[in-house]
Formats: sequence, C-alpha cells, structure tokens
Amino acid sequence: MDWYQLWEIVSLPDNIPIVAMIVLVPFFTWYAFRQAFATDRLIVQLEADPKAARGHYRKIEPFRKGWQQKLHVWPYLLRVELLATVIVTVILMVWSITLNAPLEAPANPNLTMNPSKAPWYFLGLQEMLVYFDPWIAGVLMPTLIIIGLMAIPYIDKNPLGNGYYTFRQRKFAILAFCFGFLVLWSVMIVIGTFIRGPGWMWFWPGATWDHHRLVFETNRDLHELLGITQQPFVAIVGAVAIGLYLAVFGVLLHKLILSTEFNRKIYARMTLIQYILLQSLLLIMVALPVKIILRLVFRIKNVWVTPWFNV
Amino acid sequence: MVQRLIALLRRPFSRRGSRKPFWERPVPEEDPIVNSSLAVPMAVSSLLLMVTLIWAFYDEGWGLRPWRAHQDEFVERYSTFLRGLKPRQASQEEEIKASEGYQHLLRQQQEAEADVTPRLAEITAEEGAVDARLGAIEKTFATARSEIQATIYLIETTSGSARKGYEEDREELEQRRYEIVLPGEDAPQELSYVELEDMFNSLKEQQGKVRARKAAVLQRPSRVRREMQTYVANRMEGLTAGQVQGLINSLDDFEYGIHQIHNGDMGLVDRCETCHLGVTAPVTIRAADMGGMELFASHPRKELLDVHDTEVYGCSPCHNGNGIGTVSTDTGHGRYKHWLWPLYPPENMEAGCLRCHGDAARLDLAPVLSAGREQFRWRGCWGCHPRQGFDQERLALLVNQKDVATLEGEKEAVRLLIERTVARADEAETNEEANRLYAEADSLTLRVADLDTRAERERQRGRQLLEEVKTPGPNLKEVRVKLRRDWLPGWIENPHTFRPTTKMPRFRLEEDQAQAISAFIWQSGVNGDLEEQAQGDPEQGKVLFETRGCMSCHAIGEGDEAVGGTFAANLSRVGDKVNYDYLVRWINNPRKRTLPYCPTLKRDITPEDYAAAGKPFVFDLQNNECPICGGTLQVQNPTVMPNLRLSMEESRDIATYLKSRAPGAEYAAAAWLEDSELAPKGRAMVRHFGCAGCHEIATLEEEGKIGTDLTEEGSKPLERLDFALLTQTAKREGWYNHKGFFERKLENPAVYDEGKIKEPLERLRMPDFGLDTEEITQLTTYLLGSVTPEDRVPERYHYRPRDQRSHIQEGWDIILKYNCMGCHQVAPGQQPLVKSLPLYQQEDWREQLPPPLVGEGARVDPNWLTRFLKNPALDEDRPHRNGVRPYLQIRMPTFTLSDGEVEKLVRFFGALAQQPLPYLPKKLEPLSQRELTMARQLFTHPAAPCLRCHATGDLQHDRNATAPSFELVSERLQPDWTRRWMVHPEIIQPGTSMPSGLFQREENRWIFALADLPIMKDYEKDHADLVLRYMFQFTRQEQRRLRGR
Repeated sequence: MDWYQLWEIVSLPDNIPIVAMIVLVPFFTWYAFRQAFATDRLIVQLEADPKAARGHYRKIEPFRKGWQQKLHVWPYLLRVELLATVIVTVILMVWSITLNAPLEAPANPNLTMNPSKAPWYFLGLQEMLVYFDPWIAGVLMPTLIIIGLMAIPYIDKNPLGNGYYTFRQRKFAILAFCFGFLVLWSVMIVIGTFIRGPGWMWFWPGATWDHHRLVFETNRDLHELLGITQQPFVAIVGAVAIGLYLAVFGVLLHKLILSTEFNRKIYARMTLIQYILLQSLLLIMVALPVKIILRLVFRIKNVWVTPWFNV
Repeated sequence: MVQRLIALLRRPFSRRGSRKPFWERPVPEEDPIVNSSLAVPMAVSSLLLMVTLIWAFYDEGWGLRPWRAHQDEFVERYSTFLRGLKPRQASQEEEIKASEGYQHLLRQQQEAEADVTPRLAEITAEEGAVDARLGAIEKTFATARSEIQATIYLIETTSGSARKGYEEDREELEQRRYEIVLPGEDAPQELSYVELEDMFNSLKEQQGKVRARKAAVLQRPSRVRREMQTYVANRMEGLTAGQVQGLINSLDDFEYGIHQIHNGDMGLVDRCETCHLGVTAPVTIRAADMGGMELFASHPRKELLDVHDTEVYGCSPCHNGNGIGTVSTDTGHGRYKHWLWPLYPPENMEAGCLRCHGDAARLDLAPVLSAGREQFRWRGCWGCHPRQGFDQERLALLVNQKDVATLEGEKEAVRLLIERTVARADEAETNEEANRLYAEADSLTLRVADLDTRAERERQRGRQLLEEVKTPGPNLKEVRVKLRRDWLPGWIENPHTFRPTTKMPRFRLEEDQAQAISAFIWQSGVNGDLEEQAQGDPEQGKVLFETRGCMSCHAIGEGDEAVGGTFAANLSRVGDKVNYDYLVRWINNPRKRTLPYCPTLKRDITPEDYAAAGKPFVFDLQNNECPICGGTLQVQNPTVMPNLRLSMEESRDIATYLKSRAPGAEYAAAAWLEDSELAPKGRAMVRHFGCAGCHEIATLEEEGKIGTDLTEEGSKPLERLDFALLTQTAKREGWYNHKGFFERKLENPAVYDEGKIKEPLERLRMPDFGLDTEEITQLTTYLLGSVTPEDRVPERYHYRPRDQRSHIQEGWDIILKYNCMGCHQVAPGQQPLVKSLPLYQQEDWREQLPPPLVGEGARVDPNWLTRFLKNPALDEDRPHRNGVRPYLQIRMPTFTLSDGEVEKLVRFFGALAQQPLPYLPKKLEPLSQRELTMARQLFTHPAAPCLRCHATGDLQHDRNATAPSFELVSERLQPDWTRRWMVHPEIIQPGTSMPSGLFQREENRWIFALADLPIMKDYEKDHADLVLRYMFQFTRQEQRRLRGR
C-alpha cells in the first residue's frame, strides 16, 4: 500500500472538489431519499384519507396538528438561504486563502505532461474517451446530454412530484437520473481522478504511479474476434451488432417502462415522437456501460468499424 | 428568543450528548420551522464570516508579505551595525588625518585660505552691492518684460483690427514709467522699459565679472580641499564616518515595500532585494554583523557585482529562482514543483555564469565552473558527448574536407565545359562564332584558376586543422609496436588496477566483450620496424626526467607518493607495458607515427605504397603529401605531448630510467589476441562503446559520437532525464532534479540500470571515471549551467566581446589544451605546477624555474614571439637547447603548433597585457657618437652588473650566464617594457634575480646609481634611456668590440 502516492493524489489542490464530492454526493443522495421516503409514507396516508388530502400543502410526515399547513417564503425560506450563503462564503474564503490556484509550468509544446488530465468536472468526459471514438465521446455524447436534459420537460408526461421529495411517484425518472449521474458521471470522475495514472493506465488506489510500468493489454475490434477482415463485411457485421443491441435493449427497456401500472398510464399519454425520443436517449445512455464492460472485460475496442467512423 | 438562547446555553452538555441522532428523534408537536430560531447558527456563522474576513485582511497585509517582518528587523539590525561601525571608521579617519601627508595638505589649505581672505572679503562686499541693486529692480523688470512679451505674442498671432488694438497696447506699455528705488538712494527713480532693460543687463554683466573673480581667487583653496578628501578616501578601508552617518540618516526614510529591479528589455522583474536587503549595501556586511542573519549579508563576492550592474542584470539571471515571488522563501527561490529554474545550490552557484559566458574556456571569477569545464575537456567527455565549443578542430576539418571536394568537383566540371567549348569552336561554321567560343573558353580558364586558388586556401587550412586535431587518448594503431601484447586485456578490462589515476575510464565489460575488444585493437594495429636502441644510464635518466620538465605534466610514484603533474599519465609502471625501443622513440619525438594516415583514402599509407609511387618512405610536416592521391597526410600522432628536443642519448637515458622504475610484472599469455575470428565482434564492440571518440583506431577514424548532446543538458525537461526505477525513490528522497541526476550518474554511471533486466548491449554505456566528490561538483556545475542560450536572458546580453577580450578567450583554449600552466604562470595568482615540485624548493634550483608569462605581451615583440613559438630553440642548427634561456635545465618544448594556434597565442598574450593592435614597433633615437662612448663605459663598468648574468653571444662568457642574451634584445623585447624592467624589476616580477636599484630618481630623470662616471657628469638626459637605446642597437660587431676591451 503506497500511502505516499495516495496522499499525493488526495492532497492535490486540483482534486479537492472531488474528494469533497466523494463525501457530499452520497450524503445528499441519502438525505434526499430519506426525505422522499417520508413524503411517500404521507402520500400513502393521504391517499387513504381524501379529506385530509384536500388542504394539505406541506408534504411532511408524520403530520402533526400544531404544524402550519402553508409557509411563506419570507422569512422561512429566505432566512435559511441566507444562512447557507454565509456558510458557503466562509468555506470559499477559507479555501481561497489556504489553497492557491494550482498553476503549472509554462506550456512546452515538446513535452506533454503525463498523466495529462482535464479539469475535474471534465474528467468523466475524458474517461469516456477510453471507450469511444473521440467524435462520439467528445462531441456527440456531450451534445446529447445537453439536448437530453433540455428535452426532459417535453417528454415527461408525469404531472406528479412537483415541489416535494418523492420516490413513489417518480420512480422511473429518479432511477434514470441516479443511473446517469451517480453511476456514470460521478463514478467516471472518480475513476479519472484516482484510478487513472501515467499513460492513462488503471492503477488501483494505493498502487504506485510508476511511469515505467508496462501492462499487457491488447484490444481488438469485434470483427477481428469473428475473423472478418474484408471491409464491406466488417462494416456490415458491425452494423448488425449495433442493430442487435438496439433491438434487444429497446425491447428490454420497453418492458421495463411498462412494468408497473402507473408507468403504463404515463405511457398511454405519450405521443410516438415523445416515446421514440425517450427510447433513443435511454439506449444511448445504456450503451455507455455496455461499452465499458465490453472494453474492460472483453477487451473489445470497436464494435462497428467503417472507413468514416468507429463505434 | 433570547430566553431560548439562554436555555440552550444552560442545557448541560451531558444531556446534549445523550441525545439521539436527528433522524431518530421524535417528531415535535410544534412546527419546527415556524417555532425554531436560527439565531444560534446565524450568530455562529456570522462570527465565522467576520473571523474569515479578518483572516483575509491579515493574509493580504502580512501573511502574503513575510518580507515586512524582515524589513523591520533589517532596519533595526542595520542601524545598530552602522552605529557600531561609525566610531571605528571615525577613528580610522582620525588616524589618517593625523598622518603627515594629511597634515601637510591641511597646512597648505590653511595657508591658501589665509592668503585669499582679505581679497575675498573685498570681492564679497562688491558682490553683495551688485546683488542688492539687481534685487531691487529684478521683480519690476520681470513683470514688465512678461507683459510686453505676451502682447508681442498676441500681435504675432492675430491680424486685422484686433492686431491694431494690441499694437496700441504695446506702445502704451513701452511708454509707461516704472518706479524703482535703488538701495542707498532715497529718491525713487522713474524709468521706461528700455531704460530698465539696459540697467538690468549691465548689472547682470557686473555680477558675472565679480563671480568669475571670486572663483579665480578661491581656486587654490578648493583644489587643496579636494585633494584632502581624495587623500582620505584613498586611504580609508570602507566608508568614512560621514558617509556612514549618511547611511544611518537614510534609514530614517527607509522605504518599506517591495524593492524591485526591472529590466523590461530582458523581461526581468527581480524582487530579491525585498528580503535580501543588504546585498548591494555600500558597506560589507557579514552575517555575524547582523546577528547571524545570512539573509541580510552583503553579496559575498562584491567583485562580481562590480562587473555586473545589478540594476541591469538583477539577480535571477545568474542565480535562478523566481524573482517575482515574495510570498515565501520557497516561491522566491523557485523551489517548487513547476518552476523550471530553481535557485542554484550554493556549491553549484557558478553554473549561472555559463548562461552568458557560454564560450569562455576559463572564467577567473568562477573557479568551480572553470574547473568543471576543464574536467570535461581534459577527461575527453566530448569524445562521446557532442557539446558546443568542443572538438572544434575535428568538426572544422570535416567541413573543410567537404569544401575542398566541392571545389575540386566544380573545377572538374568547368574543365569539361572548356573542353567542350573548344571542341565546338573547332567545328564552328563561321569565324565569328569560333572566336566567340574561344573567348568564352578563355574566360572559363580564369575561373579554373580562381577555383584553384580557393581550393588551395582551403587545403592549407585543412593542413593546419590536421595538425591541431588532438585526441584525449593515445593512437591505438601503434599498439603492436608500442605495447607488450599480454598486458592489453587486463588494461581493457579495468584500467584502474594498473594505473589508478588514469583518465581512461572503466567500461563495465563482460569477459567476452573485453576479449573481443582486446583482440580487435591488437589486430588493427599497424606493423612497423623500430630502430633497435642500446640501453641508457638510468641514473642520468632520473636526473633528466626531473630537470627537463617531464614532471610538469607527468607524475611518478604510486598512491600518495606520487610526485608531479596530473595532466598526463603517471609513469611509475609505464615500463611494464611498453617496448623499450618504442619508448625511446616516443620520448625523442612523441608525434612520430609508424605509418602516416591519409584522410582522403581513409587508410594508413605503407612503405609499399611509397615504393609503388616511386617515392622514398619519408613523412613529416614538410613531406606530408600522399604518394597515392596527393592529399595531405596525417603525419603526427594526435597527442598534445610536445617534442622536448632531447638528444637520442638523453631519450635512451630517460627510457631506461622509466623501465627501471617498473616493478616488472608478468601477464598471462594471451595468444588468443591473434585470433582473427574475434576481430569482427571486437570491432562491433569498439563501435558500441565509442572507443573511437578518444582514440585513433584503424578503420574507425571518422566514427561519430555515441553520447547524448550535452550542450543544453541543464535545461532539458526533467521528464526527459531517465531516472528509470529510481524515479519514485528520487522523488521521495528529494533528489528528483537535474543536480541529483547528474551527481548520481557521475558517481556511478550505471546507477540508472539498477534493478533493470537488460541485455548486455542495452545497458548504459557511460564508463566509470572514478571521480571524487569535488570533481563531481565541478562537472555538475558545468552541466547545470549548460542551458539553452536564449533561456531567460536575451542573446544581446551574452558576453560576446568583439575586441581583444575575444582573443583572451580563444587563447585560453590553447593554453589549457597544451597545459602551458604546468610550467608557466600565465595569469596573476596562478601558480605553475612545476613550482611545487620538491626539486625547485631548493635554493639553488629556484633560479631554474621557467619564466612567468604575466605581461608577456608587453615584454616581447609579437613577431619574435611567433618565431619563438614555432621553434623555441630559435636556431635550426642547435635544437637541443632553449633559444632564450640556454642556461635553464628545464626545456621549452616544441609543440608543433599550427600557424593558427601560434597566432591565437600571440594575440592572447597581447590582449592579456592590453597591447594595442596592430603592433607598431617603437623607433628609438639613434645614439650620437658621444652617447655611444658613454653607454659603452656605463655598460662595461665594473660596478654595472649586466654582464655578470646576461649572456652576450660569446661562448666563453655565456657558459656562466644565467640570464637571456643581449643579442636578442632588439628583436625580442619592446623598449617600453625593457625600460620599466631595468628601473623596477622587482615590481614587474617579484622575486626575480634581476637587481633593483640600478638607477635612482633625480628630478625628472633616472641616473645610474651604482657608480659615478666622470664621463657622465654633464649628461643631461636620462641614463636608463641611454642604456636602453644602446641595448637596442647591440649587434654582433658591438659585442666583438666589447670583448676586445
């Protein structure tokens, strides 16, 4: 166990946000779910008692008689926000006093630093470069993430869950988010920070980042596995494989969406375009872990190789 | 709310501690959001915000400005120091003022002042009167003048009716009467402007005259006062008490803040003096003076600051570090991860000099760096590593050979063109056409001649370069004639066992590699016949070895008992390795080769080749034409060892002596050296290990260098230095930097192979030189300083003198190359090695030391020096002696310098002595008949000691001479120097046996001091001059005349 190396990574001023993230993201996830489950219990109570439900604006469980049914923004919300502002200001000031901007040596075009890492918030994207063609990982995927986030209000046909924490009423949305943000985005940032060392090689935490390390790692394309070398066939095999993925996972996702009564109701409200959009975004999101597994476990670099692009 | 707060504070900790975590607490009956107060958290966080704010202010004001405390401390300690210094300086000043010289000046000054007092009072009174009158009218006049001039300006810049108005104004102003009261007059006067102006001008004129008179009167007293000040300043060590007081006063206005040097031209911002406050102080401050604070000491080597103005160069261009950083010591010194130029460690401080003085072979003020460069040169590091400024001769020779080939090719092409043109002319149809073509052919012939001239010039330069090329190691083509065969393998395996001090490094060879190399070297040697030599006398040989100068370069004796120079090999055991016959030949003339080498054909020329060409097998510097191709041959061994012009007998004696010193070791028979199957592998190994970088080896004469280029090694990115498996260790132990890399590599060149699994041929090839710590520091300093020239300092700041100083730089290269400093003192302060030899500690032998060469450029005629360096015997017929000082046992050898090298050396001595260029011999006035008679008498007078030591060219007389001959004076010496020498020999060369006090000063001339000659009685002129002029026309006839007396 190389504690020195670990400390060097953890104590790097660049990595402070990520170290904080490791603690804060799980905490707030847990806290939000705790709140959501409490509301869910209240929702169950209120569903049983329509009379009580009528005047009940605050989603708090268990509900007490002495509690107010409505609360004003001023002072009850704003004072908490003011407090938060003060605390955050203190944190930022202490941070800026104690840690200087991590500046480095003047750029030298003849010398690339190793490992050469993006700012922490882009490390997830950089990690994606391992699995995809730069065009896909660097351009297509980020664009789709932004477009997807913008499209959510237009494909979300579920009217419930506005202004309060709930899991019960938005299971599908919350699970999709947890998968996309927590599992894919955050975990990849952590991998990019702590796991990827010189040569972008995989170093388990505590291993020495040795610049001279050599690993035996050969990646193949899918068609090489199948022994196909001639170009039109290579592209065709890839296209078939991708098509197979879309078909199989499309069906699986469809089953998943229709798995509960509630979801079926929402599904019935969707137009075809909305549904296709949803399916496309989900399929692309799921493609990422699939490709990670193919790459890390089966050492497959590209599935679909054409003269113009690789997938 | 207050009550709640109090209640909260009152609640005992035990209860608070026992409370459940918030998620297990029961839900309160009251609405927690409405009923709870945020006062406590709000108060706490506001408090924190305040604290943070204060912290931020503190950090901004003091935390990020640690120099503030330093400045406070400096002012305190410095003023204490100065206050302590002042009385010391004052008492020193008192002492000087009490001295006779000062008192004399003081009396003079008082006298002068008393002299002028009455006259001065008169003038001052007069001046006062004029000033008062001027004062009375000055203001009125100035006002009137400005008003009128302003009106004139308006008139000049306007036209029409407005102009008319202004003109009227002007007239009115000129008409106006001004009222003034002159001092001593009661009644006021009324004057017009013109009158006023006249009065003002005349008063001004009077004032000027009076002042000039005053200055004339005061001239003498003020001159004496200045003399007094200079008198004190010249004798004071450090500042005067008044100056110290000035410094103390200036501390009252000490400028607290960042002290910055800015040179925009260089992009330099240095704030080092913000903390290092005493660095450029006008007094010398030692750390002890400031309570042990090294930080406040003044620059330890002020002589460096004298030549590098800190206001221009700052600090960081020499010392490195981050000049802008003031936040902490580490930032200022650049000792953090990403700063490319961290402060040089104290022992490598001189590395910075190389940034601008990259070409200098020797820097007087940087001894460590100069030693590092000398190590690099002497050890032959450049045999493997390309480095700008080294191996220039060989590189120039390669370029030269190409140039010659190009010119030859061009010539051939033109010649063909001529032939074709002539052929066309012959077949031309008309006469005009034929004539035109013939004319064209003629003009082409001229071009051939031109090309021929150019090629010849290049060839001549090539011949010179061929003479200049010297290799660090010996010529290995000679092994078969030179060495005992069985000795070779042991040497190749580890040279340090046979000769621990050798500069040949140890290669880490596998046994088979060593065998193959030995076999190849042995088999590639040339065969030749050596003249058989009789045995000499070892006793005589020992004497010769010790007195002829061998020991200026060579040592003898093993281990601690070694005596002599380290420039060349230790010869204790040389007898065990060489053939006696070869040794005699080598001592007699080390440049003699067995076979000459032809660089054009790239092979050695054998006697058979000569025979085939019908030429005798003779080759030397005069007969150096290749019998086959006509090109220039390499006829010398490329060694720097000179020819001591020993007779054959002397050579035999020395060789016998060296043979007799050897312990007579036996070596295992190595018949396999003749195994021709080993040779190809051996050749590959020799190439692999770069042996040809230092040695001349058959078939590998033009091998390239195998090492990495070290010209800019110091600024190579750290990531490019391969620490291999030691990277992590280096980082943890704190030597992951250039210095750490170089030091460990030099100490153990295989260190970065540690732990690696490598094939023998993949291993690091750098051999082990057995360097000691001091040498490692020197070389590390040199490497650290070897940076990209443009790095941090623009090229126009680099030291590239275009005047004589460049001759000094060029000259040092040659001085070091041939180890002139083994025998001669070249620079002030440097001691030649020969002086430290035991022999020369004896009283009798001290006079046998070679002459010091400080001021040689002023002493001798450069044209003569050129001749002398070409042949120090000065006489072709009598080679076995010194030309100038035949009485010295030690011998000035013949270095066979090329013309270029001789020229550089002559210019070097001229530049060192600051002799003007070009050299114009001084014409001396010829002697009149009377003067000649006087001079002869003076010269031969029994009291005059000249002829007691100096030779005259008379064999009988010269047998006992111990000083150079008068015969050489006119061609050898420069009159100015000779005159100074006759008058003050002790000053020019302390410890010389030339007596001082031959002449004594009388009025403005020197007169002969040792005797009163009647004939000289009414001679008005300088006696030293007379002798000088006589000496410079001293001829053989004159000498014969003197002998006749």
